[in-house]
Amino acid sequence: MSGMDALRSDAAKLLRDGAVKMVVGYRARGDQRVPAFLTDPDKADALTYDADCKQNLAAYLRKPEVRRHLPLAIVAPPNVCRSLVLLAAESQLVDGEVKVLAVGNGQYHGVLDVAGVAALLKEKYPDLAPSEELVRKIGELAAMSPERRGAFWMEQFERCTRCYACRAACPGCYCTRCIVEKNVPQWISTAAAPHGNYAWNIIRAFHLAGRCTLCGACEAACPQGLPLMLLNVRVAQDVEEEFGAKAGYDPAAKPVIGSWSPDDDDEYMR
Amino acid sequence: MTTMVEAKTQTGAETGFQPRIVAFVCNWCTYAGADLAGTSRLQYAPNVRIVKLPCTGRIDPLFVLKAFEGGADAVLVSGCHPGDCHYTSGNYHARRRWSIFRKLLDFTGIDSRRVFFSWVSAAEGRKFADLINDITEQVRAAGPFEKANPARRRA
Repeated sequence: MSGMDALRSDAAKLLRDGAVKMVVGYRARGDQRVPAFLTDPDKADALTYDADCKQNLAAYLRKPEVRRHLPLAIVAPPNVCRSLVLLAAESQLVDGEVKVLAVGNGQYHGVLDVAGVAALLKEKYPDLAPSEELVRKIGELAAMSPERRGAFWMEQFERCTRCYACRAACPGCYCTRCIVEKNVPQWISTAAAPHGNYAWNIIRAFHLAGRCTLCGACEAACPQGLPLMLLNVRVAQDVEEEFGAKAGYDPAAKPVIGSWSPDDDDEYMR
Repeated sequence: MTTMVEAKTQTGAETGFQPRIVAFVCNWCTYAGADLAGTSRLQYAPNVRIVKLPCTGRIDPLFVLKAFEGGADAVLVSGCHPGDCHYTSGNYHARRRWSIFRKLLDFTGIDSRRVFFSWVSAAEGRKFADLINDITEQVRAAGPFEKANPARRRA
């Protein structure tokens, strides 16, 4: 990536000046890219960024052990930028808590605040779209009979071990007590059995309706290789079609599920 | 939920498939509408189990999933007409939620022959009876959901 040196020196400068207490970024470990939590400006050279950096670091911003180090800086490609804007829209980030070292398209965009990130997204990345392959697969599924679709998903969800790696990887899943952990009453069976797996995966997707920024971290984290992005993208398509909303672009956006309009579609009501 | 699974309709097995339909209704409109259907002595299919809630806004998607988990053949969600909500905007919130959730259900195998939504006011006893008769027939035509239901508890 061009500008890697500038990113490293900006990170070091922020730490040295005391503008941030920690920089959250990526570093190389062999062939892997793993998160780096830097507090020492002299170690900023460990930072790296390339297309293999798939983890969404914004997921750390709601974790208490990371929040102890606020204010902090975070290395953010466009999808992570969208997550940051979403967190700001949901009052989960206070202005000034986070500085963003924005990267993307093989460039370094400099140190930004949340408003700067939103402007950058609008200007340079207004049409972050899911891959054609994904859209094609969704179309195929949608064209199947409901029975075959149900069978497809039963087969997929059967493999789920309920490790909740999808939840841990997701910046939008920040509830301190998730619905699946509430057990009086137990709405979602925690057993790795088909009915609990169905309920969990559906509710996870629905709780992210209008909020998912399609970063793909959940699917990348899934040890069982469940095609979670099929669900996420499908829901995002529905939200965009019905309400014209795209998560993670407007820091002042109202939540899609949770707000309403008297003009909402009534066609399915009898 | 277990009792719901085990419950048998009055006509039972001798007339073949009897759909089990769970209706989540609001206290102020549809439940009162169902009450009116009863006090008006309107006959309607005995295949519906009514669950009364304060408002459609209180109906969590989890309720619907739980009903399907327990073996429901179809689910009905019904409340006050737009503008008539006892709590001003509960039904608007619900409408927005269902507009997305019903599509997600459809995409994962619980299609629109299994999930119904309606507005039934306290004065619409006739509409309620007709609605129940109508969706019971539709679900009967669609057949038992048992095998294809991806949310169902097995064993």
